[in-house]
Amino acid sequence: MKKIEAIIKPFKLDDVKEGLMEIGVQGMTVSEVKGFGRQKGHTEIYRGAEYRVDFVPKLKLEVVVRAELAPKVVEVIEQKARTGTIGDGKIFVSTLDEVIRIRTGERGKEAI
Amino acid sequence: MRGLQKKKRELIARFLNGDEPCFPARYAEILDDYFRESFSRTSVGPRIRSEKNPYAIIALGGYGRKEQCLHSDVDVLLIFKKKIPNEANALVQEMLYPLWDIGFDVSYVIRTLKECLKLASQDFEVLTSLIDARFLCGISSLYSELMEDLRGKVLRRHGRAYVDWLVERNQERYNRFGDSTYLLEPNLKEGLGGLRDYHTILWIARAEYGLVKSRDLEFFGHLSHDEFQTLSRAVSFIWMVRNWLHHLTGRKCDQLYFEYQVNVARALKFGKGEGQQAVEGFLGRLHGEMEFLKQQHLMFLNKVLSRRHRPGIGRSPRRVVARGLEIVQDALNFESTEAILRDPRLLIKILEKSAVLGVPLSIECKRLLREFLYLIDGDFRSSGPVVKSFQRILVAPPNTFSVLNEMLNTGMMVALIPEFEGIVNRIQYNEYHLYPVDKHCLLTVEILKRFSAEDIEGQDILCRDLFSEISKPELLLWAALVHDIGKGSHGQDHATRGGEIVKSVFKRMGFAEQDIETISFLVREHLLLIKTATRGDINDEQIVLRCARKFPDIDHLKSLYLLTVADSMATGPKAWSDWIAAILKELFFKVCHILKMGELATSTAIDIVERKREEVLYSVPSTSRKWIEALFDQMSPRYLLYTPSKDMPRHIELYKVLGKRPFVLEVQTNTDTDYRTMTICARDCPGLFSKISGVLTMNNLDILSAQIYTWRNHIALDIFKVKAPLDTLYEDETWTRVENDLESALKGELELESALHQKLVTYQSLRKRILRRPDKIVVDNEASHFFTIVQIYTHDFPGLLYRITDALFRCKLDIWVAKIATKVDQVVDVFYVQDFDGQKVDSPDRVAAIKEAIKKVLTNGVPW
Repeated sequence: MKKIEAIIKPFKLDDVKEGLMEIGVQGMTVSEVKGFGRQKGHTEIYRGAEYRVDFVPKLKLEVVVRAELAPKVVEVIEQKARTGTIGDGKIFVSTLDEVIRIRTGERGKEAI
Repeated sequence: MRGLQKKKRELIARFLNGDEPCFPARYAEILDDYFRESFSRTSVGPRIRSEKNPYAIIALGGYGRKEQCLHSDVDVLLIFKKKIPNEANALVQEMLYPLWDIGFDVSYVIRTLKECLKLASQDFEVLTSLIDARFLCGISSLYSELMEDLRGKVLRRHGRAYVDWLVERNQERYNRFGDSTYLLEPNLKEGLGGLRDYHTILWIARAEYGLVKSRDLEFFGHLSHDEFQTLSRAVSFIWMVRNWLHHLTGRKCDQLYFEYQVNVARALKFGKGEGQQAVEGFLGRLHGEMEFLKQQHLMFLNKVLSRRHRPGIGRSPRRVVARGLEIVQDALNFESTEAILRDPRLLIKILEKSAVLGVPLSIECKRLLREFLYLIDGDFRSSGPVVKSFQRILVAPPNTFSVLNEMLNTGMMVALIPEFEGIVNRIQYNEYHLYPVDKHCLLTVEILKRFSAEDIEGQDILCRDLFSEISKPELLLWAALVHDIGKGSHGQDHATRGGEIVKSVFKRMGFAEQDIETISFLVREHLLLIKTATRGDINDEQIVLRCARKFPDIDHLKSLYLLTVADSMATGPKAWSDWIAAILKELFFKVCHILKMGELATSTAIDIVERKREEVLYSVPSTSRKWIEALFDQMSPRYLLYTPSKDMPRHIELYKVLGKRPFVLEVQTNTDTDYRTMTICARDCPGLFSKISGVLTMNNLDILSAQIYTWRNHIALDIFKVKAPLDTLYEDETWTRVENDLESALKGELELESALHQKLVTYQSLRKRILRRPDKIVVDNEASHFFTIVQIYTHDFPGLLYRITDALFRCKLDIWVAKIATKVDQVVDVFYVQDFDGQKVDSPDRVAAIKEAIKKVLTNGVPW
């Protein structure tokens, strides 16, 4: 089992979601996050007051899938979240020890 | 026992069928029957000598009031006149255990009369349950004695403290359960507007006035006949909902959770209404009923408390605040009903006074407002003074109570703006919208007004500043009041519809054409910013520009930003977070900047671009129009603005020819002139510009001017004007060579730097002899949100453009737009650049490095 986390531009969510549904991803978690990477923050000045934009608003997507499906998921996110400009985000893939569905107690692949 | 179960089943079946409007009372009655029957057959009962120690079984709480809901508790009291005998427990077991067995939640207490009275005066919870006591079986005189003592001893002594306690508990209830009339998942019992409000009225009426039945409220003049009818209707509706909820959840559940709302609506046979779902209609009705209950409850409390604190209304000082209006006991009232009939304008005047003076309306006044709504007709609505009063209410500083809310509750709002009716109590069934549409609009106004208030902790400083800057804040507040008015009618896009509706509203109210336009704009576009911010790439200049072009001026932008923030905040926590605030603010600054700079978003600029688009589309066959329309979206804003429309079809043609090739080149060799225009359409790559200028220099072509545009699809369109070659006879060969050289340079086969070396050294020696004005290099990060702009003023010399663009490339900069102009021998070069990551270059050391690199090539001609 693999967990794929992706930081994407907010307006790309619908595209990515659609793409993932098409390849049979059943569920995902989306959170509103802020951060910075190469895309830096900056300061706005309005009437003498400074408005610092330190962190750029992004969305974080988490998807857990069977290991076989992981490359496909990465491919879809890569494709759909791309604008070619800075701040397109990153994808992290990690191996997962265990998944448990709380309601039924199912474990492993069954619980995905 | 079987009898009870059978009766219960039948009763529930009738209820589910919709044939049992008085379910709570009937349900209580079948329990009564059970108690009486089982009491008569009890084996323990006869062993307790009731002639010596009379006892009785009494229903308490909700059961006592005959308001037994499906899964409510059954509270009973076993009361003894004297001592509690040993058999008491056995009696309880015999009578109550069977009820437990079939799933009733029965709780009981066994007490003596004395204990009851003592506890009632110590613990008001006990008093509250006893106040609703109802005789079931046993010795009835004991029950009468209990009730008489409660009135005569407990309430006479503790009545006032008891009422205070009820009021205080009410406040706690409100803090804990919230205002049900606003909530998405209202608590039918404990929330404000819930059944407890009704109970509290009854308890206070009993404690304060000794009333016995709910109808006494009407008989003793506490409520009008209509009010009592409406109140009864509201309460039975809430009961009905509560019973269904109990049935659907299978337990005592009083919070109307989201997941059950659709089913309750279906059960109550709500149908699909005009442009709204059944469940929205249902929730609208429920909110309406609860709102009425809440209002009655608050009015009742107010009345009781004010009478108590100030006995003798007649003697308290009256203060006349305007003709026909007076303040009595810190509340505004009409002098008399005749005064209203003489001058109906008092209806709005009193609201205005309330808002301006910060004095609440009296209960009587609210009642009269409702009664005299019929006086408000078309003339009234459109009369100048009325509109002025309305506006003064609207702009009055925020207060602890909201006059706008009173206008909504009394029906004044709808009377003055009939178009408002469609959104009153209109629910939007999702987890996003916390409030009904009408309340949401009012809340939006309140939030805006709080922006303007000074020194509120945690205040948004940007919003405060913007609010103080807009020229006509009243227009913003009007727009906020009606921004969702389009939700009251059919169709998809409520904003556009609203924009149309408000035009007629404010025309009727006599607003100036320009002001109507502003309000209509704000209503029509009230989703523009939030949609662009959350669904568009705000780092894409084109998208921000498209947004910016909708604004006639910065004032409109400021107003719309404020409306957007207030609207989102008033929607609910899912619509507003730091995260959304950050994106929205970012977009605001970007749009603001574009509007301030004026280059791309002025009405002239918009007209020019629009005209060009039409001209180009008109000049091509209709079959390719669609394709070209799409291509227009890819062209950069500056390309569209600065390129003559007559040249565009040729550029489009070049783009078509480009296909998969790295570049195509076209030269207009009009031999009558001493210059040539070379147009290159190419796939953009870093250093493209410097390579082209290098190739031109290598072929002894002197660049007079150049315009470089990079389209959004990474296609570069570069237009060069060069001096005609000296040898025009072999000109074609020259251009073929240029094309070949450029191809090699792009492939990396031609090393321009070394190929040009000799030439540049020669040029350099020429250059040193010229007397020159000092160069000027400006790196500007203020003018654009998207690009760093590098401006260079210098003396022209052959190969200059190659040197500069090459230096920019070495600084790892991408040139997106460039304007190169030469006047005699003075050069003005402007470059719009970003780093290879697509960001502006604003760190001081990089800015210094760019200046240094350019300075070097200007003074030395070569970077080494």
